[in-house]
Amino acid sequence: MTHLIPTGVSSETLEKFILSLADDELILGHRDSEWTGYAPILEEDIAFSNIAQDEIGHSLVWLTLYQELTGVDPDSLVFRRPWKDFTCCRFVEYPKGDFGYTVLRQYLFDIAEQVRLESLLKSSFEPFVQIAQRLMKEESYHRLHAETLLERLGNATPESSRRMQAAADLAFPQSLGIFETMASENELIAGGVFKGNPGLEDDWLRIVRPSLAAVDLKVPVVSDDGMLKVTCAPENGGRAGRHTDHLRTLVDDLQKVYGLAPEAKW
Amino acid sequence: MIQKTDKERLADFEARIGNGEKIEPGDWMPEQYRKNLIRMIGQHAHSEIVGQLPEGKWIPYAPGFRRKLTLIAKVQDEAGHGQLLYRAAETLGKSREEMIDELLAGKAKYANVFNYPTPTWADVGIIGWLVDTSAVINQTMLAQSSYGPYARAMKRICYEESFHIKQGYDAVAVLAKGTPGQRQMVQDAINRWWYPTLMMSGPPDKLSEHTSLAMKWRIKTKSNEQVRQEFVDHIVPQIRALGLDVPDKECQFDETSGHYKYTQPDWEELKRVINGDGPCNKERLDIRRKAHEEGRWVREALAAKSISKSTGKVLA
Amino acid sequence: MDTQWETYEVFHQSKRGDPHEHVGSVHAPDPQMALQLARDQFARRMKCVSLWVVRTRDITATDYQDESFFAQVVDKGYRDPKAFEAPDKLEHS
Repeated sequence: MTHLIPTGVSSETLEKFILSLADDELILGHRDSEWTGYAPILEEDIAFSNIAQDEIGHSLVWLTLYQELTGVDPDSLVFRRPWKDFTCCRFVEYPKGDFGYTVLRQYLFDIAEQVRLESLLKSSFEPFVQIAQRLMKEESYHRLHAETLLERLGNATPESSRRMQAAADLAFPQSLGIFETMASENELIAGGVFKGNPGLEDDWLRIVRPSLAAVDLKVPVVSDDGMLKVTCAPENGGRAGRHTDHLRTLVDDLQKVYGLAPEAKW
Repeated sequence: MIQKTDKERLADFEARIGNGEKIEPGDWMPEQYRKNLIRMIGQHAHSEIVGQLPEGKWIPYAPGFRRKLTLIAKVQDEAGHGQLLYRAAETLGKSREEMIDELLAGKAKYANVFNYPTPTWADVGIIGWLVDTSAVINQTMLAQSSYGPYARAMKRICYEESFHIKQGYDAVAVLAKGTPGQRQMVQDAINRWWYPTLMMSGPPDKLSEHTSLAMKWRIKTKSNEQVRQEFVDHIVPQIRALGLDVPDKECQFDETSGHYKYTQPDWEELKRVINGDGPCNKERLDIRRKAHEEGRWVREALAAKSISKSTGKVLA
Repeated sequence: MDTQWETYEVFHQSKRGDPHEHVGSVHAPDPQMALQLARDQFARRMKCVSLWVVRTRDITATDYQDESFFAQVVDKGYRDPKAFEAPDKLEHS
């Protein structure tokens, strides 16, 4: 299937962009699936397993588009690629932590995905518009689920407050890495493919800061003349292939069985 | 309301069951019936949630998107079944919290088959196919249970289990037709799971009061041996059609009886394992206990603060 | 002491026009969570256009042991369409 690539945009940049979206979803989905069998409540075990399947499913949607552009199939791409060649943000690589960290990570990521998909609804690249329309439906439920838990855990008891603040302290700088500027991103912005990471980060801050404040969670963001400014260093590097050791272990596990017979059917 | 004696009530109760009618929560029932069912349904629920662990362990390693998504869905279903079953047991007067506390304290039983390890990927397919087939044969019978909530839960569970069996079979078939390494992996898995799966149907029934009451009150309608025979007759030809085999030379079709002969599992082993001396008993309970403990703050927080989205008012 | 949340009964409507069917119940700390947990437990496979959750304690129910609540002593066969004769179709005359 051939797709009309917007003028001024190289197919290489477009493919890298798609891969980063796919990698984020896959690794986060993988982390989410680590709760299956271990969740604090039976009902949340079921709920989180749905989220995990959705995220991994979304990864597959992006990778299917990637296959249309490059000919490489999703399984080969994920189960054979060296861990250093993944382009997920570092944020999603970290182990699931306690439930508070997972809930906060899910929330911050879901809002980021929402603003990104909203931007893609207006993309000059038609397949992005279609995919965004599809994924937004599931993402709105993820957002609802994450917000529901955030509201209820944020400041419910002294212990939950302590844990959620600790999670926020850890997760917030990490989450900024979602918006790490990609090399040659300007091509995509100029070509109308998406809004660009700085713009998306701003949209995202305007949503997450008040939501977290509503449950007494503090993050290093200040308001300066109507503009929101982050006062901590972002944990970048993922888009450029600089990953945590957690990803090495994760990908090792991910590829272990497949690797026993990579040419075989599983 | 007309007052009846317990003797009259028992007669009504047994007549109702004799007519094939269901008993619902709130109906009068003998204490023995209630206790029996709580124990049975509770054990079934515990089996589902402990059973998440042997397969859930392989989710990070599932080879390929389809296998990964399918496995997450399957293990999720097991949590779902646990949820349905605990609810059914709760209608008989015991709280889920109490049942789970007993499980974690090592005071409750669950299906022994989940005390065995899953050392390879092939084990996942074998559990999905063999263990779930045996479970379904048993569960289809339980769906006829005289107790309404249990029968209803079982119908739903059987429907979902039918997917699990197909998914398990598919995973096994692919390995059976694959590389020599894959074929060996799956044959090894069958060799390890065959007898534990046979044990699932329970030891040969003695004519104990337990069993005959269970049959009379239609809590159970087939004997353990009947269920086991049904399983063997069904699965052995399918295993052999894949070029695999069962680790039992006696397992041959007998023209006269129209059934497969087979060697009984070692019932002493069952006793040992079910009483805590199995390879994974401690490990699996430890994991569940840890998960439960680590999740305590979440449950407490959720109970402490409930919010009405429509009114925005904090309720609790 | 852990927490045992109360239960909510779940009603599921497969498509518009169908009645809502009782499919089970969930433990939840509040109605909003009950709705979401019900969605994950009871609507992840089957098509669903509407879900209701009702606190179990808000349901007023009859008592199985009080059969007299439903008793019919006088034959009310006149309520059954089969109790009356009427021609099915008239020929034009």
